[in-house]
Amino acid sequence: MRLDNLREAFTMRYLQGFQAVALMLLAMSVHASPTLYERIGGQAKLKAVVDEFTNLILEDDRINFTFADSDMNKFKKLIFEQLCEITQGPCKYTGRDMHEAHAKLNLDNAQFNALAEDLYIAFDRVHVPYRVQNRVMALLAPMQRDVVKPGFVAPGTQKPPANIK
Amino acid sequence: MKTIFVVSAAAVALGWMSPQDARAENLFGTDEGKLPLTAGFSDLEGSGGGGLVPLAFISGYGSSTSWGANAHFTNIQLRDLHLYTYGVAAGLFDRVELSYTRQQLDVTGTALDGLGVKQDVYGLKVKLFGDAIYGQDSWLPQVAIGAQYKHNDGIKHAESVKAADLTGLINPMQLGAQAEHSTDIYLVATKVFLAESVLVNAVVRETKANQFGLLGFGGDRHRGYSTKPEGTIAYLLTRKLALGGEIRTGPHNLSVDDQTNAWTIFAAWTPTRNLSLVAAYLNIGSVLAPVTGVTKHQDGPYLSVQAGF
Repeated sequence: MRLDNLREAFTMRYLQGFQAVALMLLAMSVHASPTLYERIGGQAKLKAVVDEFTNLILEDDRINFTFADSDMNKFKKLIFEQLCEITQGPCKYTGRDMHEAHAKLNLDNAQFNALAEDLYIAFDRVHVPYRVQNRVMALLAPMQRDVVKPGFVAPGTQKPPANIK
Repeated sequence: MKTIFVVSAAAVALGWMSPQDARAENLFGTDEGKLPLTAGFSDLEGSGGGGLVPLAFISGYGSSTSWGANAHFTNIQLRDLHLYTYGVAAGLFDRVELSYTRQQLDVTGTALDGLGVKQDVYGLKVKLFGDAIYGQDSWLPQVAIGAQYKHNDGIKHAESVKAADLTGLINPMQLGAQAEHSTDIYLVATKVFLAESVLVNAVVRETKANQFGLLGFGGDRHRGYSTKPEGTIAYLLTRKLALGGEIRTGPHNLSVDDQTNAWTIFAAWTPTRNLSLVAAYLNIGSVLAPVTGVTKHQDGPYLSVQAGF
């Protein structure tokens, strides 16, 4: 009898533990993992990133001359759309594809990296965590193939002209 | 000792002359165009890597249309040994790396205080294909092939040791080594999983080196090359700071020397493109055991300073 009670108590406890785990899993699945866009902090935060980023590249002697003929308001709008779209935000990038947009600029890796660095700093300034920054960067990094002049692209990483929108 | 000061002074001067702000063109007209942490630190043999293990990165901050160079000094205070290295490296077009490093290992704290081994390492590394950073949409790593020509200068005794004549060893050949010089050949693959903020690196090294070459090359047990794996894993904590660990295996060529694995736990930091620092805990195994008779694993703090552009 005592053994039965003990067993019952044990089973109850085990079941309660199991229920707790099941509930936790359920809660996690209901709270489907937030999109990268949400992890950045949504529209307001991303707009702030784009503002900082634009200021930084215009101050950056390594690359600012490449924007000499650019309409920076349009640039801001397109960068926002692009960052929003690739991070699964509710936007649609309306600009030209990356290859076409950079074809005439003859950009090299140092300039591509300078831009990436400015974007990292922009994220820092609006306090987006570094881990989240890297997730965004992981999506942008392959664009190097379309942005940088072909001669500067590392062999073995080349692909046929991509259609990144 | 004089050489150390010259190299350190040169390193500091290089770092100082190069502008802190990479946006201005530096004194050498190079672009310093690579991202922080992607120029490699100076490993034990002077190749661009971490502490013990090379990476597929090319040393220096010059991008594919430029070049870069650096000088380093590394100080490792082990249990009964003091190991320090200094040297220079250059990276051309983010494609070819050339390096020279001198290693000096001195016995401290045992009866053989004053005994030491010197070794020169000349390195060459060529990036073959892939890009550790840009290729985020593929599993393809950045792959490079490298060679390290090592020349062991023999075992030097200070007067006090010679007088005591504790070992009579002047040369690793007396321990059974086959040669005082040899070339390591290695293939290295590095991948940064940016979305995870993780760097993974694997090396396969063809080597005859006994304890990195500090006990010569080849031996009575095995004369020729062995294929030995090495690896690095690091977590990118910030854009300029990585924490990680490395492991390196070696051949067992000498019957008198029971060579074990060496490993590190490290923090690698680049406050600017002109200054790189590595602080690590190094366990290098028994290293000089056949000479010193001390078989306890040698471990201790590892500090490396690299200045360049």
